[in-house]
Amino acid sequence: MVLSEECDIIFRLKAILEFACQLDNPNGAQSQSTISKTFQDLQSKVSSKNIVFTVCNSPLLIWPNTGFQSSVESLTEASACGDILQYIESDDGGSKKSSKKREKKKSGPTVVNMKLLFEVTEPAGNEAPSLIQVSTQQHCVKMPLPLDCVLSVNTDESLSTVCTGLVKAINKQLADMEEVVLQYRKGSSFLVPQPFHFQLPEPAGLTTVIYSAGVPDSQLQAVREDLHRKFKLPSDRPYLRRANAFHFPDAAYKDGYLRNPHIHLNPPNLEDAKLYLVQGVYSYHHYMQDRVDDDGWGCAYRSLQTICSWFQQQGYVETAVPTHTQIQQALVDVGDKEPRFVGSRQWIGSIEVQVVLNQLLGVTSKIMFVSQGSELATKGRELANHFQTEGTPVMIGGGVLAHTILGVAWSETSGEIRFLILDPHYTGGEDLQTITDKGWCGWKGPEFWDQNAYYNLCLPQRPKII
Amino acid sequence: MDLQTSVHDLRGRMGRSYFVDEAVEQYLGGLQPAPGSCVTGLLAGQSSPQRDFVVLAVQTPYRESEGQPKASRGVSPLDDIDVEWVTEHAKQVSRMLPGGLCILGLFLVTPPELAKDAQNSLKRLIFAMEKYITKGRLWELSEEDVTDRVTLHICSKTKKTVCKTFDVKDPKSSAKPADWKYQTGVSSSWPMLTCSVEVDLLIPLTGSSSDNTDKCMKDGLGRWAKQIEAAYCLINGRQALDDSELISGQKKNLKTAHRQTLPARIFVSDEQSELDERSSALVRVCSGSIRVRGVVHCRAYIHNNKPKARHAAQAIKRDIINTVCSRVEMFLEDLLINEGSHKGLCSGQQALPRRVFAPMPISGLSVCDYMFPDESTADVAERLKEMLDCETPEEDIDTSLESKQLFSAVSGSETTDSHSDDSTKHATSEVQAENPKIQKASQYYAGVAVAAGIALLATATSLLYLNE
Repeated sequence: MVLSEECDIIFRLKAILEFACQLDNPNGAQSQSTISKTFQDLQSKVSSKNIVFTVCNSPLLIWPNTGFQSSVESLTEASACGDILQYIESDDGGSKKSSKKREKKKSGPTVVNMKLLFEVTEPAGNEAPSLIQVSTQQHCVKMPLPLDCVLSVNTDESLSTVCTGLVKAINKQLADMEEVVLQYRKGSSFLVPQPFHFQLPEPAGLTTVIYSAGVPDSQLQAVREDLHRKFKLPSDRPYLRRANAFHFPDAAYKDGYLRNPHIHLNPPNLEDAKLYLVQGVYSYHHYMQDRVDDDGWGCAYRSLQTICSWFQQQGYVETAVPTHTQIQQALVDVGDKEPRFVGSRQWIGSIEVQVVLNQLLGVTSKIMFVSQGSELATKGRELANHFQTEGTPVMIGGGVLAHTILGVAWSETSGEIRFLILDPHYTGGEDLQTITDKGWCGWKGPEFWDQNAYYNLCLPQRPKII
Repeated sequence: MDLQTSVHDLRGRMGRSYFVDEAVEQYLGGLQPAPGSCVTGLLAGQSSPQRDFVVLAVQTPYRESEGQPKASRGVSPLDDIDVEWVTEHAKQVSRMLPGGLCILGLFLVTPPELAKDAQNSLKRLIFAMEKYITKGRLWELSEEDVTDRVTLHICSKTKKTVCKTFDVKDPKSSAKPADWKYQTGVSSSWPMLTCSVEVDLLIPLTGSSSDNTDKCMKDGLGRWAKQIEAAYCLINGRQALDDSELISGQKKNLKTAHRQTLPARIFVSDEQSELDERSSALVRVCSGSIRVRGVVHCRAYIHNNKPKARHAAQAIKRDIINTVCSRVEMFLEDLLINEGSHKGLCSGQQALPRRVFAPMPISGLSVCDYMFPDESTADVAERLKEMLDCETPEEDIDTSLESKQLFSAVSGSETTDSHSDDSTKHATSEVQAENPKIQKASQYYAGVAVAAGIALLATATSLLYLNE
């Protein structure tokens, strides 16, 4: 995930608009124009003077369609949008601008969350209240439209540009939603259009795509092919599957696993060395998680789980990370192990990891064999290549231990090498500080390996799909 | 702490304090019950967590078709009290109170010999009244709402008053003593919140029976009411969320002659959590739909004893909800009386009653009433006399806040795919041509044939809202 250097702030505007219409005959020719008209009415509604943007956790209200008004006097249309940050209370009580930079080595863009509100007071007219009854039988359709618009800008962009941009974005999103709703509608069955944001390579940047709820990624191949062409994306790796959706820096991961603990590390001080690291996002799996006590035997299983989490989060598979039991069952299913293997505490090695990746995820892997641990120091080029082309985490088993290699620092000139290791033998909680301080995720030198033992490495290969 | 102070403290903490406008004292003093008989009436005002304010007292209107008072047949006058009538009066009056004000309790004037039994009657009445008024209400009480109601007993001979409260949340609660203090100008400096709210609700009707219609209306209005309750509110340009005071920098002794008017602004979001988790649209076959549309004018008062902004916001929001619901209720009640069933709810557009305001006796606050299209200020004045026991000159009745001009309706709503997509727009300023005669709503207020009318009404309201 490469974030644009330029973008300091992401404005994110969310709202749920109710789509409601009455159809006399859902299968009739007229129904499409009724649906379109309803979307147009919604577009008028968001372009009207009644709409208000509110900035979450702040007293700020902005009326974008009345020649820009804000509820805070010092913020005018010409103000830099970065000035908003001082009015936002972050969760720890301080304002976002003044909050200390914590452990984050890479401070990503700040996310400003906003909501859309509609004013019901100060009405344009003064019509007397009345009751209007319609007595014809109709299909009454109600559907929530989960609007979610984003705008990436620099802090010095003016507020009025930001607001105009957001209003345009809402209108565009409504139009896109209309297209998707009409495309997937069958009679009176409507699917909810859902926005997904993707951080695409420049110049596209942060882009929003609408997918229909209930239509799985597997059925959206043609849509993705079109979009890959449109945004000039490589045609051999996924960018636009739902799992590839942009993870906003201020959102926590609900499953509780740590993501990419390695980004908090300082790279090793190696002259002339380049870094070749895992691409994308993985979860850290280790001993004792999920209430499974695999202390002493589960290290390769955990490394395999880390690898599976990578394939899931890069959008290659939709299946959840397998449990120990599921891993064991997979090996039994292919005939590699006897049925009594399931429920046992037997170790597995790189070959089993390769087999399971194939069986459960359809992923092929290359196996690299080194007869002595000391030889690993000479594998810099191969590993560098692997991380450059495939970028997947590598499982390494040998001696009596299994580990995950997340990258190498390798100097082509001197041949010096360091290995970025994620250690599945950690038994504690998801405490980033401990994990990085104590080296459970850390850079190790060639002496880390048992110099006399032999090792097998499992290098998973990316499937060529989008 | 010596015993005396601690007892006083205890009583102070246990009992509520009612600050009552002198005008109420005058009114109560002026009541002339016939010898040996009782007079019931309502007390209205505002409660706050620390203290309560009473600004209005109104005796129960005379009910004509009473026949022989039972007292003359050897039954106690207390048993003569028509509970249904008292509660109906309370309901009508509560519709006439702007936001922030409500019925706080009842008074009962009896001859000295009935003073002991009076307490029981008052208890019965207060619970019955609370139950009746709150039936069908679309907003929930919050934890901070005061649920104590006051009962005031006045001896017709000695004029001595006994003031007690009951917690109407608890049917088993017993009477607690309370303080009753008269003051001048209790509400003279109360700020008034105002706003005009645009309403546009489309309520689909499933099924065809009138019970279904009522349920759909209640559901539809209920969802809208929740939106209003959850809405963001600005009062006088400031956020009304937290514990901040409504008017900061206020001097302690604010008895200015001028009453502040604070404009309120309400912002809703469309979020409806029950729809959130859906992956497909909710589609129902409807037999029709009802659209409630127009601009309503809303008003609320808040006491000026360091009120919090969010209480003021709550008061105006409740007024918004109440005014829309009251009108729809009144409209449907009226139809029931005239047509006997919802078959009378014909297609097309019908005007809902219009809200008008009039000054409350002496206190300077206003009350409101609703005018059907064929009514005049004379009808309003008549109702004010009957319900609030006060003479209001017709020119004091403000009919300017809501207009008579109806929205120009497209027949069938705009978002249908029926063929009348285009210009069947007809500007209607009078809608009567389409409708059967809408009889004067005042008919069922007046004393004539009231017994039958009230019985119908009671049935109507219990039909309208399913019994809790």
